[in-house]
Amino acid sequence: MKKKLLSLTALLTLVTVIVTACGGSAPASNSPTATTTGQAQAGGQLIVAVQEDPRVLNPVYAGDRVTLTINQSLFSHLYTYNNGEKKFVLAESLTPSADNLTYTLKLRKGLTWHDGKPITADDVVFTMESVLDEKQHSSDRANFIFNGTPLQVKKVDELTVEFKLPQASAAFEGVLAGFIPIPKHVFEGEADLEKSKKNEKPIGSGPFKFKEYRAGEYVTLERFDNYFAGKPKLDTVTYRIAKDPNAANMALQNGELQMRKIDAVDHNKLNSTNRFNMVTYPEGRLNYLAFNLNVDVLKKKEVRQAIAYALDRKELITATYLSEEFAKPAASIFTPDTMYHTSEVETYEHNVDRAKELLTQAGVSNLKLRLAYVNTNKAHETQALYVQQKLGEIGITVELMALDSGAFGNMSLDMNNTAYDLSFGGYIMGHEPDGYKSLYLSDAAYNYSHYKNPEFDALWNQAAVEMDPAKRGELYKQIQQTVANEMTIYPIAYDNAIIAVDKKFGGLQEAGPKPVVMFEDLSKVFIQQ
Amino acid sequence: MHKYILRRILQAIPLLIVISIVSFALIKLAPGDPVSSFVTPDMSPEDVERIRQNMGLDQPIYVQYWHWLVNMLSGDWGYSLVNHRPVLTLIMERLPATIGLMGSALFLSLLISVPLSMYAAARKNKAADKVLSLISYIGISIPSFWFGIMLIYLFAVKLQWLPSMGMRTIGVNSFLDVVKHGILPCTVLVFMNVSVYMRYIRSQTISQLEEDYVQIQYAYGSTTGTVLVRHVLKNTLLPVITIFGMSFPELIAGAFITESVFSWPGMGALGITSVFALDYPVIMGITMISSVMLVIGNLLADILYGIVDPRIKTMK
Repeated sequence: MKKKLLSLTALLTLVTVIVTACGGSAPASNSPTATTTGQAQAGGQLIVAVQEDPRVLNPVYAGDRVTLTINQSLFSHLYTYNNGEKKFVLAESLTPSADNLTYTLKLRKGLTWHDGKPITADDVVFTMESVLDEKQHSSDRANFIFNGTPLQVKKVDELTVEFKLPQASAAFEGVLAGFIPIPKHVFEGEADLEKSKKNEKPIGSGPFKFKEYRAGEYVTLERFDNYFAGKPKLDTVTYRIAKDPNAANMALQNGELQMRKIDAVDHNKLNSTNRFNMVTYPEGRLNYLAFNLNVDVLKKKEVRQAIAYALDRKELITATYLSEEFAKPAASIFTPDTMYHTSEVETYEHNVDRAKELLTQAGVSNLKLRLAYVNTNKAHETQALYVQQKLGEIGITVELMALDSGAFGNMSLDMNNTAYDLSFGGYIMGHEPDGYKSLYLSDAAYNYSHYKNPEFDALWNQAAVEMDPAKRGELYKQIQQTVANEMTIYPIAYDNAIIAVDKKFGGLQEAGPKPVVMFEDLSKVFIQQ
Repeated sequence: MHKYILRRILQAIPLLIVISIVSFALIKLAPGDPVSSFVTPDMSPEDVERIRQNMGLDQPIYVQYWHWLVNMLSGDWGYSLVNHRPVLTLIMERLPATIGLMGSALFLSLLISVPLSMYAAARKNKAADKVLSLISYIGISIPSFWFGIMLIYLFAVKLQWLPSMGMRTIGVNSFLDVVKHGILPCTVLVFMNVSVYMRYIRSQTISQLEEDYVQIQYAYGSTTGTVLVRHVLKNTLLPVITIFGMSFPELIAGAFITESVFSWPGMGALGITSVFALDYPVIMGITMISSVMLVIGNLLADILYGIVDPRIKTMK
């Protein structure tokens, strides 16, 4: 499963956000102007705002939003998922054997790295071996370990690679979509790939090649004429570091920045300048309220359900995101871009009487609950005030705990945590549902609700190895329904990403809006005449 | 004199060690775990442990400190936990931007605040003094990020006279371009500085104007201007030197907020990033350089005191 990232860098510090660098591009529901494209003018530059310096410009390590975004232009995947459809990039095919234990990958002919050297099976094998090498401590290593045994990778010929799995895995194709080869001829012999000086001038395979990095200022990439999918239209793409969100929005209006992911609250203000195309698309992110089942009173299912009935999702969304244009009401723990997402789950429509009835059934009165969230997260602050007021209506007093992100992280990762009762969080898990396991299995470190149920665990483990799509779908449906029925997590909304792009740029639809990295392929973007 | 300087330098060594121990302990005691930003949910505990070991975070705090100290003294400042580049390289990349911005701000602040304060003092309680006092109180009270945003809105967005962010136009390498980018952040810093400096220098000037030597000059028929420039100016230098000594570490540490608002690629911006990521090798590097600068600043100030006012020297 895909590239992943902990959203430490995002505002939801220490709330697990896992990311698909390969995950699916999303259909953009945007302002009509975003789809109108004028005549393309050759050349020009695009300045994209990023919030901080990239970490290590090497896909073996990339896990944060900024690095993943830059890597998206600098490197190419073997293949990606586009709305659930597989789209081959560097590879031209991936064929599983009858027993699903061997996968044969064929690379396209005539591909080259940015330095002109050919991209071959050796590069794929070298990268996979580096990821699996414990000494290189890649955060992707766990993706290719199955039940404690790593997969095996072998070069068949110059353009063919064979992956041998220790056991059948329904998740493997999804996981491999997040894999990005790095050039063997550049990195061979480096003792520590992460600290290698070669990362300072990366040689990639994407539509743009590295030109210049100025610490704290910008990273500039320039057109790679040999890009297999056609010469990019722009001359350069610059990722400019803009730390302060308010100042960045000003720079956007000033033209010093030309593309930026903005917050819903800033949408109307920027849109009214009539300078931008607003590209709005689902980011595959779930925003939720978690119940802490370590706390005795929340072990009672009725109490959790009562809270769910007391809340009104639509009001919550209006309070936090202004309108449903920027976030869709959520019911399942799977985001809509995840395979086997279903809407056939209990939604707990707002019903105060039912909520009170459930509390009485549970024999609970004068309940006091502590609601924790990260103090820098504006959206969570608004939500917290709303929840406090709504639960007051059914006689539950809510004490707000706005915590420092570090402290919140420490508490939430403590398996015996009873420091708070309710908490807000969010995640991006991508296309492959197996990845969610790490948030929901009984003993998973990120099982923030601390819900423990061996039968529920068994469903996840069965689904991971079930190769029949219909049966697999059924298992995942059961999983989503279980969480909804048990109400261990109250899904609030699937939020949309909003990218403001200077109106002079066209080709945004073709570039493919994509969760986390903004656009799948900036080579398609051009300046309109 | 040489002996005095040497003695002060030797005295600074234990001070720096204490600062390093306190800073190290504070970073380590802060909630949060630097490893967490490298961990994904499906990583096995062994993989997480390996990352922790690789970062040297599996050792007890005092062992980590000892390693850090020994390496630091031998010139190895370690690697950033965030982007795995050498700390010294990261600092050196940022230093010119910060020294340039903070140096010009300090210089301009003194250049503006000395004459303004003396003028205000000479017109004590008159309209000009009151207006200047009001402005200086405003400068002390308003938050720098707000003032910065207002300047950006006016000069970069509305009037389009100046760039709003960064240190240069992308791909342009000219001194003039850097100066143009520096005007707004520098204005914020100068306004903040001048507001504070004026309070010190004005009150020092007022007390000087009441001295006998000033009254005698007046009795000889000197004008206020002559008195201020020829006689009082020298004596107002003491608070200026104090300010200079105190501002010395800022030349290196930068301005956290102003640099962030203007995306100025200096040490302040680096500092903020590393604090949020609990990137202790970088935080320690910045802390130690600023501490050394503080010690040097104080030493310079003490030497300058002696030169400006010989009575101070004889007391030592």
